Formats: sequence, C-alpha cells, structure tokens
Amino acid sequence: MAETQFAESQTIRVRVNGQEYEREVPVRRLLADFIRHDLGLTATHLGCEHGVCGACTIIMDGESVRSCLLFAVQADGAELRTLEGLADGDEMHPLQQAFWDNHALQCGFCTSGFLMSAVDLLNKNPQPSEEEIRHGLSGNLCRCTGYANIVKAVQAVAEQSQS
Amino acid sequence: MSRERTGKMLGAQVRRVEDPRVLLGKTQYVDDLVLPDMLAVAFVRSPYAHAKIANIDVQAALTKPGVACVLTGKDILETIKPLRVEFDTQKVPFHKSCNWHVLTPDKVRFVGDMVAAVVATDRYTAEDAAELVEVDYEPLEAVADMESALLADAPLVHEEWGDNVMERLEAQIGEVGKAFQEADCVVSERFVTGRHMASPMETRGCVAQFDVATESLTVWSSTQVPHTLRASLATLLDLAEHRIRVISPDVGGGFGLKAHPFPEEVVVTYLARALRKPVKWIEDRREHLSASLQAKHQIVNAELALKSDGSVLGLKARFLSDAGGYSSYPWSSAFEPKHAAGTITGPYKIPAFSFETCTVATNKASIGVYRGVGIPVAALAMERLLDMGAQKLGLDPAEIRLRNMIPQDEHPYTTLMGAEIESGSHQASLQQALDILGYGDFRIEQQKARKNGRYLGAGIGSYVEGTAHNSAVFDSFGVKIGGYESATLRIDESGKVTVFVGTHSHGQGHHTIYAQLIADTLGVALEDVAVVQGDTQATPRGWGTWASRSAVTGGGAVTSAARKLRDKLLRIATRLTEVPADDLELAQGAVQRKTGGVRLLSIPELAHRIIAQPTSLPPDEEPGLDVTVAYEPPPITHSNATHVAAVEVDIETGQVQILRYIVVEDCGTIINPIIVNGQIQGGVAQGIGSALYEQAVYDDTGQFLTGTFMDYLIPTAADVPQVEIGHIETPSPYTLHGIKGMGEGGAIAPPAAIANAVADALSPFGVRVNEVPLTPERVLSMLDRAQTNPSAE
Repeated sequence: MAETQFAESQTIRVRVNGQEYEREVPVRRLLADFIRHDLGLTATHLGCEHGVCGACTIIMDGESVRSCLLFAVQADGAELRTLEGLADGDEMHPLQQAFWDNHALQCGFCTSGFLMSAVDLLNKNPQPSEEEIRHGLSGNLCRCTGYANIVKAVQAVAEQSQS
Repeated sequence: MSRERTGKMLGAQVRRVEDPRVLLGKTQYVDDLVLPDMLAVAFVRSPYAHAKIANIDVQAALTKPGVACVLTGKDILETIKPLRVEFDTQKVPFHKSCNWHVLTPDKVRFVGDMVAAVVATDRYTAEDAAELVEVDYEPLEAVADMESALLADAPLVHEEWGDNVMERLEAQIGEVGKAFQEADCVVSERFVTGRHMASPMETRGCVAQFDVATESLTVWSSTQVPHTLRASLATLLDLAEHRIRVISPDVGGGFGLKAHPFPEEVVVTYLARALRKPVKWIEDRREHLSASLQAKHQIVNAELALKSDGSVLGLKARFLSDAGGYSSYPWSSAFEPKHAAGTITGPYKIPAFSFETCTVATNKASIGVYRGVGIPVAALAMERLLDMGAQKLGLDPAEIRLRNMIPQDEHPYTTLMGAEIESGSHQASLQQALDILGYGDFRIEQQKARKNGRYLGAGIGSYVEGTAHNSAVFDSFGVKIGGYESATLRIDESGKVTVFVGTHSHGQGHHTIYAQLIADTLGVALEDVAVVQGDTQATPRGWGTWASRSAVTGGGAVTSAARKLRDKLLRIATRLTEVPADDLELAQGAVQRKTGGVRLLSIPELAHRIIAQPTSLPPDEEPGLDVTVAYEPPPITHSNATHVAAVEVDIETGQVQILRYIVVEDCGTIINPIIVNGQIQGGVAQGIGSALYEQAVYDDTGQFLTGTFMDYLIPTAADVPQVEIGHIETPSPYTLHGIKGMGEGGAIAPPAAIANAVADALSPFGVRVNEVPLTPERVLSMLDRAQTNPSAE
C-alpha cells in the first residue's frame, strides 16, 4: 500500500488590507512567510518563530493571531489586516500617532506586533485600565523601551476615544 | 572650557524624526531584502558541547533538489582565516588567543558550534538539507562550569593552551594589607551572576551579493559596526577592503551583541562570492540563544574593609569569568571581568584595592559585550558589600554611601585605577532618589507590613558609567580599535544639510539628536537635516555604536563638522555683506545681524553662490560646502546615577514584586529628554531581567537548556513598572556641550538595587542574597538555607 499522499501545495484566497490575493502556496508555508515574502508585506516581523515574542501579530477575521504559528493554508478564505493596512494612506491611525507622540518605539522591530495587538485590545475593550493594557500586551516582547511609553500610548488613545 | 552659546534645539523635547516611517511599516530590516536568484543558507550546528568530528557525509544533502552547495570546515581551511583576537603582549601579557574557525574543521566546542553550511533555493529547503548532513561525533567530556575548568584534570577546550585559562590579571593599588589589618569591620561574600543575553528582538542576519562586473561585494548585515565588519571580512577572506561595501540597514536592536563581527557573516560573504549569487542567512531564535554570544557570567569573591564610622579602607576582589568556547572580536571574551575590576570602585573613594581576574574557556557559547559590560556585576558586588557593612556597623545603607562617595567639589577625581572622573553628583543623586521614594515613610510602612507578615524592602544601587572611551584608552587596553568618530557634513545648493556619520542608530534616536545639534549650529530647521548612517560607501570610517559612545563621539563629530561649515558660511557672508563677522550669526535659515536680528542672506542663497557660482567667492575660499571631521573625545566620559528599588517578597512563593523603581541620573547636558528617559526605562527593563528572570542554562554535560523564549525569560509589560526618573545635569568640562554618554546606565544597577531590596525585605531571616537572577526558586532556597525564624518584632 502506498502511503497517503498529501498535496505539496494548495491554492488559497485571502483578503489582506482590503485587497484580494489568490496564490498557490506549499502547504507547510508559514502564514508569516507568505505575508512577508510572497505578498511582500514586510512590516510584519519575525522575532522568535515559536509564538512567544508577538512581533508577527496580525489581525485575522477580527482576532489577533501570531502569523508564525499558522500555515498560510489555514488562512484560506480569511480577511487579514497587517500594519500596512492600519494607516489611511499617510494619515496615521490614532495608535500610530500616539506611539509617535509618546516615544513608544526605539528600534521599531517589535512595533508592528504591538500596534496590531493594541488594535485588538482596544476593539475588545475600548476603555482598558493600565493593568488591563499591561496584561493585554504581555504577549508581545519589546527589548528596547521597557514598555512604559507603549502603555501610555495605548492609554492616550483610549482616553481620546472616550472624549 | 566654556559651554558655547546654544540655540533652542539642545535640550528640547523633540519627537523623533525617524519614527513615522517605522510606524507606517516602511522600514527595511535585513530579512526584508529580496534580490533576484537569492539563495538561503542554513548552518549545521553541533548538538554536543565538546566532541571530535570523525567524519562528515554531505552526499544526501547535496543530492536533495534545490541544494546548491554544502560547505564544511575542511573545505575552507585554506581560504578563510579563523577569527582570532590578538593583543599587544606588552599591554596584555597573560592572554591566550584561540582560533575561531568559521566552520570548525576538527572538534566542536559548544552546543551550536558550526560544522557545515548548506545553501539552497530557499530557507525551507536549506533547513531540510541541513538535517541530511551526517556528522560522526566522538563526544568528549565537557568543561561545563568555570570552577571545574580550573581543576588539574579538567578536559581542555583548547589543547594548545595546556590549561583552560584564557587570561589572568592581578594588581594591587595602595596598602591593601594594612587596610584590612586596621579595619574595624570586614565583610566578604561570593557573588554569582547569571549568564545573560542581549537578545535583541531582531536576530542576527545578513545578505551578501557579489557583483561580477566590478568584482565587488555588498553585504547587508544586522550589525552595530559596519566599518569594523568590513575590515574583518577583508582580513578573514583576504580581499581588498575597498571592494567590500557593508550596509547595516534598519537594525532591530543590538545592545552590544551586534558590535562583534561573526563567523556566519564571513561564511555568507564567502558563499556569495564563490557561487556568484546573492546569499541570505536569517538566524532563528534558538540559534540566537544558543550560538550567538552570551554575557556577564561571573563569580566574584570580594571583601571590604571598613572603619566603625562606615568609611571604606580597602577592597579585595577576585573575578572568575566563564568565557565559553571561543573569544569574541575585538575586545575578547576576557573583557567582562577586566571591566568589572576597572569599575568596581564606582562613585566611592577607596584608598586601597587589590584584584585578580581569571577568565576560563568552557564548552558554552562565547561571551561578548552586552549593555554595561562588567559594571552590573561589579556594582552588584560593591553595593551588596556596602549594605552588608552598614548592617554590621548599625548604619543606614544611605548613610554609608554618602560617607564614601566622591564629593562634588573633589572633581576631577582620579580613581585608583587611573581614570579621571571629570564631574558628577553622586550624593545629590542618591539624596534625590531617596526623596522620590519617601525613604523615611517607606521604613515606617516596612515595619507595619512586617507585623502583618508582608516583607517589603528598599535597595540602593549607585554607579559611575564610563562612556565614549577614546583611542588612547583602547590602546591602553591593548585593543586595536579607534575611539574617535567621523562625520561628513554637506550643505547642498538648496541649503539643505546632510550628515554622514560612522555611528549606527538601532533605536537610540541619532537621526533626531544629530539633527538637533546641527540645527542649532547652522541655524536651520530640524527637518532640513538628513542623517545618513550604516553604509561604508557613504559614510567616513567610523566605529559604530556601543559603549554609550554616540552622543559624545558622534555628537562631537557632527557638531565639529557643522561648526566648520558655519565658520565658512560666516566668513564668506562677511565678505559679501561687509558686516563684521562678530556681528553675524546663522539663525532661522539665514545669515543675520546679531544686532537687531536683521536678515541679510538666506542660507540657500549663500549655499548656491558657494557651490554653483564659485567665481563670486573671495579668491582664498574653496568652492563647495562639504567637510569631513574626525572627533576624538576625552579619555572616558562619566555619567553617574542612583537607582532605588522597593520590592515585596512573597516568602511562600519566592516571588519578588517590584513596587517602585526610581532612577536619578546625571548624564551632563541632555540633548533630548524624551530619548534619555526612553533609554533609562528600557535599560532598567533589561536590568530587571538580569536581576529576576534571565539566565542561559547549561546542564553538567554542557547541554543547552534555554533555547526558546519560554525558557529564557525576557520581562514583559506585566513585569516592568513605570520607572520614576529624576535628572541632574552636571556637564562634562571636556566634551562638546558638556554631553555625557548614558545608554547603558539603566541596565547597570537593577541587579544591585533589587538584590539589596530583597536582602532588606528578608533581613528578619538573615538571608544571604548573593546570586542573580533572583528567581522564585532561588529566593526560596535562600530562605531555606537561612534556617532561622522571623525575629519577633
């Protein structure tokens, strides 16, 4: 008996930042590699490739996910949002603006993941307490800032939306 | 030297000019680079700590579809030189050098040592093929810890040495024997620090491309030191340096780790040239944790002699340091204990000091420089000893420090080690930090809490941070590198300014601070200054960014260059306008009369004449507005600070919770407070990691156990408090604008301050706090060891 044969590749359709893509991908291709290298959307970064650092966080069907822990084929039919889809042209999203105003980034490598996690956090809890922000962002690692200004930036956006 | 009259940008709270492109996702880190026909490399790394390589069979890998080439150590023995740190033996007499082959040909010396490189069409295929390389290892007994490395029958990491000692150094300054004889009180302790890692969020990585037409190489690398890497590649590959261009694009953090040239970069560059195709290597996190560079792992045995009033008479310290399998270039893996010995006296007046350093090779990843290099370990020992002395003498920890600190009016103060601390505010920083805490009230709260079975503690960590070492200092260390920095400044016909500088910002905000300095000097707007860095073809020879050097050295270079062009603009303007030079200034984009602020000539107009209408210039003036300056800083520029940590220790779980963390720092003139505060907060976060969470762990066979971020624990947003920051500005009398470096400071004192706070919290139990990280498990075992009951209070 021959072993069960799995397809080496598969055609997937995804909508990323509002744009449709149809691509044939190897079935083992990571979603992060698909986004970065096949679609050329390199604002999503890879810091650990084992699901701890959160640098590769994107929004998939309204939920924040780590794109290093998913295969591209698992995103077939999904709606994805990456950092490239956050601003309105060159008009920054309030979180981007708040990160700038509060010096919430240094080297910038983790920033994309933090912004996407913060988008998800504020979607689900528009008025988080400081503790809720810290907890909500504790799945993202930053080695430069010591987090304080990231927390402040998210607080600033939450306060803005209240007023 | 008087401080020059400065404009409004120096010290201004300016948002960073580099941020919008980062926030909009327009950065380009190395892995974002895609070149046509680019190949990927994966390295075959040793699973053994110490083993002979009997045979390597590459056939199965080579025949896998998509594989372009497999390279082993034997293939390149004649063509690639090993990395080797050589010192001037007159300056460093007891140092043994070793060869770090870029692919080891005969034996492996740590888990992760590189045995072969596999090149394929993409990373997936390369990694699959790397699994197919069959290496026959003959395991050897491993040297798994630094103390057993010294035993007579220890296995040898480098046979040609005859033992495992990489470097020994000893010195006695002042009458140490007498100090200890006359002491009223002697305290001593053995301190052990964890094997920490810089672990920037972006791992290492590089891309190399060979241009057949010009026979030249372009190497993009995630490095802090593009020029140093270029020089190393030229030497190790025996190539003409001017045929190599190194670009360090956006770099996702470094913290010292990326200030070293690496074997991987050499192999990738070699492969691109050999295969005539671009080659990319992106390190994965396990490789990073196991096989990049580790840091700060030492055992320090130290003794302090004190008089009954708390004044220090003498200090003795022995530093034993675990270098790992090889030696990192250019400082060597023996630099950590030397720098600890050189800095342990900190802000204190200590009349007599003797030390020994001993660095041993072991079968672990090698040691490199990481934020603070040696000072965090030295500060832990010194600051704990002072607290122990204070406790024994019945003094307050603050009081014993105030008594021994260098008074402000004794600057410049020459330390026993010969360093001149030019200015500082040691007592004032300590006093201010205690005021922010509310020290008296905290003591009352602590007493109350103890009655309720809660254990609070406060701990102090004071230090001096030597930054921006100049060329003479490195020469005295026997390290063959420069301490100067270079800048080329260019004003174009439209009056816009571009500065090309040899430092490298990977988070530090240089684009903003250099623009601030230049804007002031040339009277132009911040947005009219562009900063170019990280390209050996564009920038003058510089030394990159490490050791908190860039504000002083890069800032010095860009300011000096701007002053030269300012002088030229004003010289020519005075001839054109016939207004005396001393009545002219550059401000608001124009040459103005100081009296009345009358605008005479815009900078674009003047620049256009100097560049494009040179016939209108005075005959003794050269056309063009382009200048290159090398700026050599003073020997060492010293910042100082005091950290105070307030913690609560849960004696049931061993968990240490930081209640408050205070830093009062003095880095002289502040260029941009936002950036300084950001560096402090981020440094403290790393220091909290060192103090409480982080350690690279090996078992007793040298097997590496902490290869993921689930094992090597970096603090998260839930672990790092908002640091309460106070500033004192005592300018350096020697640097331009009185600026002092400060990038490492935040990471220096947390192990000391937190260990002191934990010891203070657990003082009713008489616990010895002498090791970091203070993990819950370690705190519980310290409590167990103390075997005493809480004293009834």
